[in-house]
Amino acid sequence: MTPARLEHLLLLEQSGELTPTRRRALDAELAANPDARRLCDELRGLARAIPPAPGPSPDAAARIAARLATAARPRPAFHPAWKPALAAAAALALLLGIQLFRAGSPSSETQLARSETPAANDSSTADDWTDPLADDFTELENLLTALSAEDPFGFAEL
Amino acid sequence: MDPTDAALLAAWRRGDAEALGQLVGRYKRPLFSFLHRFASDPGQADEWFQETWVRAIRHMNLFRQRNFSGWLFRIAHNLIIDQARRRKPDGSLDAPLPDSGIFLGDTIPAATLSPALEAGGRDLGRQIEAAVNALPLEQREVFWLRMDSGLPFKEIARLQRTSVNTALARMQYALEKLRKALGPAYRELQETAP
Repeated sequence: MTPARLEHLLLLEQSGELTPTRRRALDAELAANPDARRLCDELRGLARAIPPAPGPSPDAAARIAARLATAARPRPAFHPAWKPALAAAAALALLLGIQLFRAGSPSSETQLARSETPAANDSSTADDWTDPLADDFTELENLLTALSAEDPFGFAEL
Repeated sequence: MDPTDAALLAAWRRGDAEALGQLVGRYKRPLFSFLHRFASDPGQADEWFQETWVRAIRHMNLFRQRNFSGWLFRIAHNLIIDQARRRKPDGSLDAPLPDSGIFLGDTIPAATLSPALEAGGRDLGRQIEAAVNALPLEQREVFWLRMDSGLPFKEIARLQRTSVNTALARMQYALEKLRKALGPAYRELQETAP
């Protein structure tokens, strides 16, 4: 048996992974060969000569638990059912806004009539385009505020 | 997973704080010892030890192995490899050389062997540590996992994603280099055997 093969078997013997057939071959070699026994002693001596490593800090387990607790802090739960509800609410708000905008805006005839009086047109144009929008935004804000106050779907967390 | 490991983990999840301590205590010696051999200082070994446990428990959904020990050492191995790659950004130590079956990491010369041995002084144990620390990463890992943490070659091979024969060959490379590095001191080892 070559020294490399012998060492191979000795290593497997030490780790408890030697098959019965190989064990018989190794035992026979150790019985017959003094060099084999010397190599076996070297390997055992090597394992004994290694200085033991220190242990972890005494509070390691507590620190691990603390880190796991931090990592497991509850995050806002994700419910896919929110998405359609949110989309429906947004669509409703948009529709209401458009409806209110149309109801509050002047007709085309009125606008045409006003365009014939430039002096009045200058002052009224700003009113026509600012007031309805402000009203619409107020309506939208009110709607969203109402939804947030009730918060049936947890919109605030979004 | 060992039924007792599973029971301890389940107990901890139900709020039993001591269960985690028992589970950590069960594996602390071989696991910490392994990490300690690759850490730059005890503080880093402690940090890696905690990180290994946190990752192991947090990612239990990815746990596919039968034994919890293998799962822990797999994570510890990854931490060490990540650290080594940060130090050596070029090339993969796991890359096999063409037509040889030998891995790149096995061929890195032990350039710091002599100074490390001198630093080890006359204490044989310290000389062994210094000589092993000068080995290529894969050989060093096999050496410590086998000689210190007590893992069988089958499990070491699984950790390194290689064959049992390659793991054994790495161990034999390591022993050969130790013999050369330690010289007469290595022969003293047979006198320390019972």
